[in-house]
Amino acid sequence: MNGDQPVQFFPSGLWNVGWRYLLRHRWQSVLMVVGIALGVAVMVAIDLANASASRAFALSTETLTGKATYQIDGGPSGMSTQAYAELVRQKGDIPAAPVISEYFTSSQMGSRPMQILGIDPFSDAPFRGYVGVGTGLSLDQYSAFLAQPGALLVSRDLAERYQLGVGDPLTLEINGRQKQAFIAGLIEAADSLQRRSLEGTVLADIATAQELTDRLGQIDRVDLLIPDGETAAVERIQSLLPAGLRVEPVQARQGSVEQLTAAFQLNLTMLSLLALIVGLFLIYNTMTFSVVQRRGLFGTLRCLGVTRIEIFGMVVSEALIIGTIGSVLGMGLGVLMGRQTVGMVSQTMNDLYFTSTVQATGISIVSLLKGAVAGILATVITAGLPAWEAASVSPRAALSRSGLENKTRRIVVWMAAGGVGMIGLGLAVFSIPQTHLIFSFGGTAAVVVGFAMLAALATILLLRAAGPGLGWVFGLLGRMAPRNLVASLSRTSVAVAALMVAVAVTVGVTLMIDSFRYTVDIWLAQTLQGDIYITAPNFNQTRSTVNIDPQIIRAIQTWPEIGQADLLRTVLVETPQGQVQLSASDNQHLGAERLYLWAKDPPERIWAAMQAGGVLISEPLARRFGLLAPGSSLAIYTPQGLRQFSVEGVYYDYASSQGALFMEMQIYRQLWNDPGVTAIALRLPPGADPDLVTRQLEDGLKFDQKVIVRPNKALRADVMAVFDRTFAITAALRILATIVAFIGVLNTLLLLQLEKQREVGILRALGLTGGQLWKLTMLETGLMGLAAGLLAAPTGYALALILVYVINQRSFGWTLQLSIQPEAFIQALVIAIAAALLAGIYPATKMSRMAAAEAIRYE
Amino acid sequence: MNKIFKKPWFWILIAAAAVVIGGGLLLPAKPAPAETRLVGMSAPATGGYARASTQRPFLFPLDLGAHPDFQTEWWYYTGNLATADGHSFGYQLTFFRRALVPPPGRAARRSEWATDQVYFAHLTLTNVSNGTFGYHERFERGAAGLAGAVGEPLYQVWLDDWSVKQIDVSHYRLQAGADDIQISLEMVDRKGPVLEGIDGLSQKGPQPGNASYYVSQTRLDSQGSLQTGGQTFRVTGSSWMDHEFSTSALASDQVGWNWFALQLSDGSELMVYTIRKADGTIDSYSQGTLIYPDGKTRPLQKDDFEITVLSTWKSPHSGAVYPAEWTVAVPSEQLKIQVKPRLADQELRVSFTYWEGAVSVSGSRAGKEVTGVGYVELTGYAKSMQGQF
Repeated sequence: MNGDQPVQFFPSGLWNVGWRYLLRHRWQSVLMVVGIALGVAVMVAIDLANASASRAFALSTETLTGKATYQIDGGPSGMSTQAYAELVRQKGDIPAAPVISEYFTSSQMGSRPMQILGIDPFSDAPFRGYVGVGTGLSLDQYSAFLAQPGALLVSRDLAERYQLGVGDPLTLEINGRQKQAFIAGLIEAADSLQRRSLEGTVLADIATAQELTDRLGQIDRVDLLIPDGETAAVERIQSLLPAGLRVEPVQARQGSVEQLTAAFQLNLTMLSLLALIVGLFLIYNTMTFSVVQRRGLFGTLRCLGVTRIEIFGMVVSEALIIGTIGSVLGMGLGVLMGRQTVGMVSQTMNDLYFTSTVQATGISIVSLLKGAVAGILATVITAGLPAWEAASVSPRAALSRSGLENKTRRIVVWMAAGGVGMIGLGLAVFSIPQTHLIFSFGGTAAVVVGFAMLAALATILLLRAAGPGLGWVFGLLGRMAPRNLVASLSRTSVAVAALMVAVAVTVGVTLMIDSFRYTVDIWLAQTLQGDIYITAPNFNQTRSTVNIDPQIIRAIQTWPEIGQADLLRTVLVETPQGQVQLSASDNQHLGAERLYLWAKDPPERIWAAMQAGGVLISEPLARRFGLLAPGSSLAIYTPQGLRQFSVEGVYYDYASSQGALFMEMQIYRQLWNDPGVTAIALRLPPGADPDLVTRQLEDGLKFDQKVIVRPNKALRADVMAVFDRTFAITAALRILATIVAFIGVLNTLLLLQLEKQREVGILRALGLTGGQLWKLTMLETGLMGLAAGLLAAPTGYALALILVYVINQRSFGWTLQLSIQPEAFIQALVIAIAAALLAGIYPATKMSRMAAAEAIRYE
Repeated sequence: MNKIFKKPWFWILIAAAAVVIGGGLLLPAKPAPAETRLVGMSAPATGGYARASTQRPFLFPLDLGAHPDFQTEWWYYTGNLATADGHSFGYQLTFFRRALVPPPGRAARRSEWATDQVYFAHLTLTNVSNGTFGYHERFERGAAGLAGAVGEPLYQVWLDDWSVKQIDVSHYRLQAGADDIQISLEMVDRKGPVLEGIDGLSQKGPQPGNASYYVSQTRLDSQGSLQTGGQTFRVTGSSWMDHEFSTSALASDQVGWNWFALQLSDGSELMVYTIRKADGTIDSYSQGTLIYPDGKTRPLQKDDFEITVLSTWKSPHSGAVYPAEWTVAVPSEQLKIQVKPRLADQELRVSFTYWEGAVSVSGSRAGKEVTGVGYVELTGYAKSMQGQF
């Protein structure tokens, strides 16, 4: 067809050479495609989960903040009506809207967490655009919404889904209390974004919201619309506010949550990349192999006048085909896997960072494309190296089969030296103190690649050491197997390295999770000293900011079987560096119930220092705010203005990566004038049965508000359940990476053994039986597995050290105690050998059945 | 050409296209309405409000405050102002109150933000000198101290930062601003509250209760400052205040009204209004009041005055055609004057569309020349006022 065109960059005939090659080596191609597909799928699945969680957060806050650019946060006890009215009389033309928001559930609407958004229809139109008196409807139509108690607006979609209509009564559970409401109207969303946001939100007039949440006389916050850069307007609003209230940019507030979740998401992304990297090892290995296999062909082609560029293009185009098919399959598989990962990641986000009221559905095209592009590009780039090798070799050398192996053996030592260099580079990166997480991951990658580069040398040494022993046990075959492997080092070393990396990841991640779990266990034992814990129902697993009814507190304090009741008030407060979680406690043993990074005083004197105005801060907070050094102090905005608090100590804390601090209860109450209590810890007299008292309390506390009573054991179990949920996805990724590695090894060994058909034929001709050949093959693959498993131990250990001491600390501010379980290493060795042996079965069986003549006739 | 199917790059292209198309299909493509709508919002029952059926005693300043048992109430401040060097302005600051629920249906609420009273207000400034007109509308709940009207101990009506406050027996302070308009005036009432209609009961239709209670302050000497266009003006002039409360004052066939509040140079004031019916005729319940320089009043019935329209103005914004120049005559008082808008376009397009603007007056009384200023309100030209109040 193109024959009449004299000059062509790429002769179409060469396409066919590559294409035909892939078709002829069907199994090889299929395995490569599967490897790429799995790598891309894992990446896509994680990216979908991350995108979904971010979107759920954005949608959940979208309804809440609307177009607001600045906010006044009312703080723990809210902004008073008087202060707001005063602001409105003085502020001039700047749009301002008061807001109340709270989570609730309703059995009539699926019992899932939703939010009630209390807005002022007279000032809200510029912000959210759902309700605006004076636009559209007549005043009279607001009659029910404004004037009837419990009036709610819900989206039409929500009403239809739960078969509700205008006028229908709704029972809500808000902060443990049952409240009666009704549907006063339906919102028809303007677009799909709004529709999604409204999936988890119902609207009420701010008065109704105050009544439903029992926040009379206060508002949670005021939204402001001040154009960017108008600092004079911001300052003017600030000057109109009572002490303790701050005008803050909305972005800063949302940004802090995003920052926190970003570290978590980045960790997941990096883990997902690992699967792709393992997949790339496989590509590299297979492409190298296919090039090696065709050295003769390339030599012939070169002799016939085909240029280097054309050879290079041919090999790369093969990779392109494999990469594209694998990536497309991977996208599909990723979407399927995403169904699991989205749920897992969202759950963790909800446990740790924010309550999302929206389940973001739909598949992010960006995630799919990212995965596909990464898959194709990585494949092509990885294939570039062997392609270059194929193109650069001189026609004469190409025709000599031993050329490559000689070259490989020569560079083994240099590779090893390079590996040591890479490890050194990685360590150097870690020694830079405050850098972006990406650098830390880069350092981790350098260390792992460094170990992989050492694999070839280590394999040779290991095999040489094993030779005599194997010979003694297996005779001739035992001596042959290791030598065979060394002889084909260019392929075996890559396979061993690939399996080693995959197994090392398993070891490293397992050790990290074990260490984390161990650390949390110790921390819980130290921190949870009460016998029974009481909180109001809430939607955040790691902190409760819902007030307990004072009647309940009085009832508990006067309960007969109780020794001591410690009160805790947890709130979010503003500091010049951002929001932090403050817990006010009246527990005088607090000092002894924490483990410290450092403390100014011995534990028994800490309480006295706190009564004098000192605070204890958590390790993540100290790292976030740069308060690690003893003698520092922390500034907090209080209703009495900005106050400095001396830091008495930094304690280990794994409940929040955002950071938390402890303050003495009297000092908190004096400054914030807030008598609220969010949790009660009970200490029973010796001999009392916590389970019995828990049941008595559950039966006896019959109040308006429902409370959750948990004995120490149950609370600990709940915390550990959250922990295990958090790491469920990590564990799943670990398994996936292992599967990819397994396929890689299967592929490599298959190719390795198939390539040796000729050699096998000669062995058969020399008199080796089928059974002996089978044994030889299994010995070889078993040895490779053993080598990989053994090398994975130090690599995995190094990886664990990095994850525990560098990545976790830099991502979340947590210092973990390293806990080394020997099981992890044994497990790794078993996985490696099992994978290798499994991979050996097919070629071993095939070759043992092959007739000598047929095997030699090959080629 | 069929060789193309054997090319790998062809299949790559097909795969890529499949990805893009497949991806597109995954995106939701549900049509949606263009803007957020609220549906099922109910209008309340109208029965159960107090009505203006008989004369009532008025107590001041108490009765300048709100009467929440009536459905509708308003406080109209209008005035003509000028600087010493000849810049002239008109202004309007009106507060409206609308009850959402009749007294028997009102629920006891725990929140101080809860309300069944809605306030809204209009602020306009007519810059006669440079021919511009600006207006603003605001809404607020009659709760939480954000908007309201009280008569005692001193009268005040307010919505956010717009307010009129009594500071002494007949001394008031008016303050309002938005965007490019800031008004701050001190006002002294020269004539005391004037009871319009029959002792303050202003009948608007044949049904008992189709009436309002209507009180005016017809000459409020005003001075203060205006800010507009980046300039501050010291101004003096006179203002007029109308305070009216009622429940469905308009009868079912009435669509709007024309209202004149004129302050004449001889020290008297004339208030007249005509109620227009759907068929274009003038209702017999149109009426007015003449306030003599000494404060005495004379109620005027429909037959006591004649209003002739001399020209019309079509709003380029709403398309409504408004009368734009009149002759007003009260033959029994030998009064015949011409009323002219000081600016043609003084139309407010707020939650309802109406024309309310500064006018100038010239003519004669008993053979003597009189001049004057005033305000005219023209409602129901863009859309019937039925159901608006």
